[in-house]
Amino acid sequence: MFSLGPFRPTSSLSGGLLWKIPWRMSKHQKRRQRLRLKAVDNVVDTITKALAKRGDKLPDQIQRWNEEMPKENEMVARDKYTMFDRKVEKTYRKGIHKLPKWTRVSQRINPPGY
Amino acid sequence: MSFFRITLHRSGIGLPHRTRGVLRALGLKKRNQVVFHPAEPQFAGMIMKVKELVKVEEVPRALTRDEVKAERTPDPGFWVERMVPR
Repeated sequence: MFSLGPFRPTSSLSGGLLWKIPWRMSKHQKRRQRLRLKAVDNVVDTITKALAKRGDKLPDQIQRWNEEMPKENEMVARDKYTMFDRKVEKTYRKGIHKLPKWTRVSQRINPPGY
Repeated sequence: MSFFRITLHRSGIGLPHRTRGVLRALGLKKRNQVVFHPAEPQFAGMIMKVKELVKVEEVPRALTRDEVKAERTPDPGFWVERMVPR
């Protein structure tokens, strides 16, 4: 067979460009993810406090965020680093780093029932 | 009256047009750019749209552009002495 010589066809050699995303995050990626979650908590906290000081009614989106979204310290690791995916058999979870633009979007909660 | 001091920390490249439009409406063009807006519900709502991209502080007054620049200019480490006119 042609795969026995010194130049064996790997998936990138036979197909050209190949990007792979590892199935789980490294501990450093997880740490940066926690810092980002905290930074977002911080921003929401700052604007909530500023509006409360003025005695304004909170806009709906901020109120809903505060009611529905868990803070970084209230989240379980499963929700911080993985997300729901119906394509994955058994676990129904995939690493959050597979989400497009995952460092710049918020993904904290699961669909109802998961 | 207090202000939001908003710094663009992460770029909006590749994000939806609505999100980038909010950045433009806040006056944010480049990373690390600083803008000031009054601490009012309408600006809070806009910040909420881009909360993953910005850093926000509440400050008592809005700084001018020159003051913001002076803030990040480092100490030159020397000063020029002039001769005393005789």
